[in-house]
Amino acid sequence: MAATKEELLQRLSDCVLNMEDEEVIDVAKEYAAAGYDPLDGILKGLVAGINKASDLYEREEYFIPELLICSSAMYNALDVLRPLIPKEQSGGKCKVVIGVARGDTHDIGKNLVKIMLESANYEVIDLGRDVPVEDFVNTAKREGAKVIGLSTLMSTSMNNMAKVVEMLKSEGIKDQIKVIVGGGPISQSFADKIGADGYSVNAAEAVKLVDRLVGNAEPIPAA
Amino acid sequence: MLKDTMTPKERAAAIAAGKPVDRMPCNPNIANGVARVYGCKISEFNTNAKTIADAQIACYRRFGADSARIFTDLFTFAEAMGAKVKFPDDDTADLEAPAISADVPDSELMKEIEKIRPVDPYHDARLPLHLEAMKYLLDGVGDEMGCSAGVIGPFTNSFFLLGVERTLRAIHKNPEVVHKLTQISLDCAKSFADAAIKIGLTPTISEPMSSCTVVSPKVFREFSLPYLKERVDFIKSKGKGVVIHICGQTNKIWRDLADMGIAGMSIDNVASIKECKALIGNDTKIMGNVDPGGVMYSGTPDEVRLKTLECIRDGYDSPKGYMIMSGCSLPVDSPFENIDSMMNTVRELGYPVDVNKLDAMLADVKKRLGI
Ligand code: B12
Repeated sequence: MAATKEELLQRLSDCVLNMEDEEVIDVAKEYAAAGYDPLDGILKGLVAGINKASDLYEREEYFIPELLICSSAMYNALDVLRPLIPKEQSGGKCKVVIGVARGDTHDIGKNLVKIMLESANYEVIDLGRDVPVEDFVNTAKREGAKVIGLSTLMSTSMNNMAKVVEMLKSEGIKDQIKVIVGGGPISQSFADKIGADGYSVNAAEAVKLVDRLVGNAEPIPAA
Repeated sequence: MLKDTMTPKERAAAIAAGKPVDRMPCNPNIANGVARVYGCKISEFNTNAKTIADAQIACYRRFGADSARIFTDLFTFAEAMGAKVKFPDDDTADLEAPAISADVPDSELMKEIEKIRPVDPYHDARLPLHLEAMKYLLDGVGDEMGCSAGVIGPFTNSFFLLGVERTLRAIHKNPEVVHKLTQISLDCAKSFADAAIKIGLTPTISEPMSSCTVVSPKVFREFSLPYLKERVDFIKSKGKGVVIHICGQTNKIWRDLADMGIAGMSIDNVASIKECKALIGNDTKIMGNVDPGGVMYSGTPDEVRLKTLECIRDGYDSPKGYMIMSGCSLPVDSPFENIDSMMNTVRELGYPVDVNKLDAMLADVKKRLGI
């Protein structure tokens, strides 16, 4: 007997949560073949699963390796479901440029933030690590991104976060592009001090932060 | 400025014999910041053994810390095994590309690993340079202090052979690959540690990827601990005590580490000295943990003083001993006055620690800071 939509959503979510990065592809295909709404499959299945995984991470039941496999599972199923979404629905919420500030190469945390933003349907442009100040600004301008996310775990690179904000100001585009910051030595008070628009302590909160800053939805046209 | 009246060696020997000393041993952990003291570029450490040693010695003469270590970055073993390392002109080296190319598919990994040849510490990459630097260091200050050689932990080294993110995934998807990489990393580091011990230095192990901030205690026990233990046993069999440093949170693996019979556990500032003392203070010396970034690099001398005193307050009565230290290597451009502040606080306090005096000093600096 064919599985119900609810059953399949649950299985999508469970596959992500339980690191079933291969099985999830079959489940996604079954879900798609049954003709259920692909967007629901993503949001109520995959994203629900990655959110639960990130809760387990916060509770120190999952660690980085587990979270990365959960995210692989999510991406594998996204590859199946995304192409099925009708064009007008398929645009991401908005573009976010993310990267690790100049002078730092710690990128595990940045990668988690990227995963969670992508799961929330933001279009993330990842500049990698040790990224020069001007690359953030120029990429955001070129891509029409509304948010720049800066990560660092090194105190010595914090100043380069401030420089990104300064550069946006000096080019007169600070109002159009929100800057969010995070990483070990970063705090809300540091964010305030350099004139960043937001700070969050972890990747799940980063999604809420961006949602708040860009007024949630505002879909951009699909490319 | 207060002056030390004993050398680190005299101090350590007196403490071991239960005799009074001028102050508690202290290690700000200046790392490549020694270049700022000596007046050279960090990249000179990649080509000139004498400079590595002389910068350490200059730093010791300037600040009087109790340890000197030959260690420039985490990538020396991986480099000798084929990883590409980037050498900035005046900053710490960084991994550019792992030994195993990202193009190698998972199915070919085992075959690719077989190709990594055993490392010869006397010939490969910067390893001979480091061994030579050890000799210069020992010649220069060996009669005043114990000198140590930084050795990268086998599990951490695996990440630099396969790439950080790929290794994190392989832990679940390709476990035998991670075991194999860690085994060859262990073999490599054994020969290097052996060479360092022959010169007369004591190896210390850095194993950051074993941190509970990165992997679970379960993963640590399966993939890292067996190899780490073999490394520790090997060094112990040569008559040396082993100090281990792991960045990040480590509270859930302290028991495992202490059970290996290590001489000291150096902890990060995100871990708690009190908790560590309660758990393994009866088994090993505890070292730590003033915040290198938030306090030593970005703080004021008084903030350094406060944190130094707070750490000592938490750790001074640990049964197997305590050493005040930074939570990790200091950022290269940490202000000299902050390093002085740490050293002078320890000098002023004296040893054995008089708790009343310690509390008075704490109250005093808190008042000055308005807290
Ligand atoms: C793993 C690790 C490494 C790995 C990095 C691998 C990699 N590819 O990233 C290795 C071993 C290579 C490494 C190397 C070094 N490290 Co290191 N490392 C760590 C460690 C143990 C854990 C960091 C981590 O991955 N955490 C897990 C992630 C998930 O957490 P996170 O990054 O904080 O991210 C979360 C939040 O902060 C937030 N977030 C992160 N970014 C962003 C961005 C935005 C926009 C938002 C909103 C939120 C957000 O969301 C994330 C998910 O919830 C820490 C210890 C510690 N106390 O943190 C030291 C630490 C970061 N390292 C440190 C140092 C000094 C180094 C070295 C310089 C050491 C040396 N002497 O060789 C080198 C070189 C690094 C370089 N040149 O850049 C110091 C930094 C000190 C400082 N404050 O300046 C630390 C803090 C250790 C210490 N106590 O001193 N390190």
